[in-house]
Amino acid sequence: MRFLAISTLCCTVVLTSCSLKTTEGLREIPFLEKEVENPYFANPKIDYVYKAKIDVYGKNFGGILIVKKIEPAIHRVVFTTEFGSKLFDFQYEGNSFTKNFIIEDLDRKFIVNVLKDDFKLLINKSAEVVSLYESETQNVFKTKTESGFNFYFIGRDSKQLDKIINTSKTKEKVEVDFSFSSDSPSNIADEIVIKHINIKLKIDLQKFKEN
Amino acid sequence: MNAQEITSFKDKVIASSKTTKTIKTDFVQYKHLDFLADDVKTWGKMVFKAPNLVKWEYTNPYQYSIIFKEDQLLINDGGTKSKVEIGNSKLFQKLNQLIVSSVKGDMFNDSDFKVTFLKTDKYNKVVFIPKDKKIGAYIASFELLFNKEDAQVFEVKMIEPSQDFTRIIFSNRVLNNTVDDAVFSN
Repeated sequence: MRFLAISTLCCTVVLTSCSLKTTEGLREIPFLEKEVENPYFANPKIDYVYKAKIDVYGKNFGGILIVKKIEPAIHRVVFTTEFGSKLFDFQYEGNSFTKNFIIEDLDRKFIVNVLKDDFKLLINKSAEVVSLYESETQNVFKTKTESGFNFYFIGRDSKQLDKIINTSKTKEKVEVDFSFSSDSPSNIADEIVIKHINIKLKIDLQKFKEN
Repeated sequence: MNAQEITSFKDKVIASSKTTKTIKTDFVQYKHLDFLADDVKTWGKMVFKAPNLVKWEYTNPYQYSIIFKEDQLLINDGGTKSKVEIGNSKLFQKLNQLIVSSVKGDMFNDSDFKVTFLKTDKYNKVVFIPKDKKIGAYIASFELLFNKEDAQVFEVKMIEPSQDFTRIIFSNRVLNNTVDDAVFSN
């Protein structure tokens, strides 16, 4: 009896710690799609330019984020001040990452890794689906990463990617929300918000629109 | 430019700078990155009041202003206001001083730069190359184009070591109108 109680307790702890809030209330359904696509930052003809506002532990910084797919498998991600001075210049090719430039103040392993992972999440074109969930309005595709999972939330009617949640095996880490206005060109988000859950970091990106 | 041309050009800029108490001007900024199809364009206004108050304001495609005031930067990023103390960052001080000086153009005696004088059909061009390696890691050179007629700065270009650059072109410049100090508060 005692053994049963302990094992029940263990099972409960294990199960609880393994369940992510992201999928709470969602229903797992069979899936046909092998891959889920991220349509953003994918057109090599477009210069993607956003005004960025960064709030890190209550301190505010601004800048300009420029993303371009320069070859079928290569993205450049450059962040400058409003005056145009480069703060960092990253290059992504598949799983390899090159730091072309970064200012001394930002060149710390922790900061580089956070930035590297955040922007990788934005530009990653497709990922292999491991399971599929549904809510009333969205399909949620679960994919595997090196250390956890990414969940892609796609509107069932709009077919638009609305949200990506990155998690470890047990906890939500980063949430990326994409929003659009009625005159948005297809596959270009007007606003992107990258919100960290375990550190106080929020990056708000507003698409450049000339008045 | 030959030695005589350099002297006369410098004198003209310094004389013009001495009589300039305020400047109001529009500008357009081009950020050039070699991999982009088009330069990133932003527009705005700049206000200068002697001796060293500068407000740099972007109005399109976003609202952002930065006021250079003594050892502080007052920033208003689309309604989010912040203050940066620049007193203890030598590099930042230098970069800011460059911006303030370049508005007036009067920065020939800056010993931190190797200065070269050139002329084109329309403009006099001055190229500043930083001697300090730390500044050199951010700016390969800094170029100012002056109108030949009135010795005012027409264009500022900051070239990075990668050869990507920022180019700022001024227009609608108004000199010595009254500018209230309140312009330089956040």
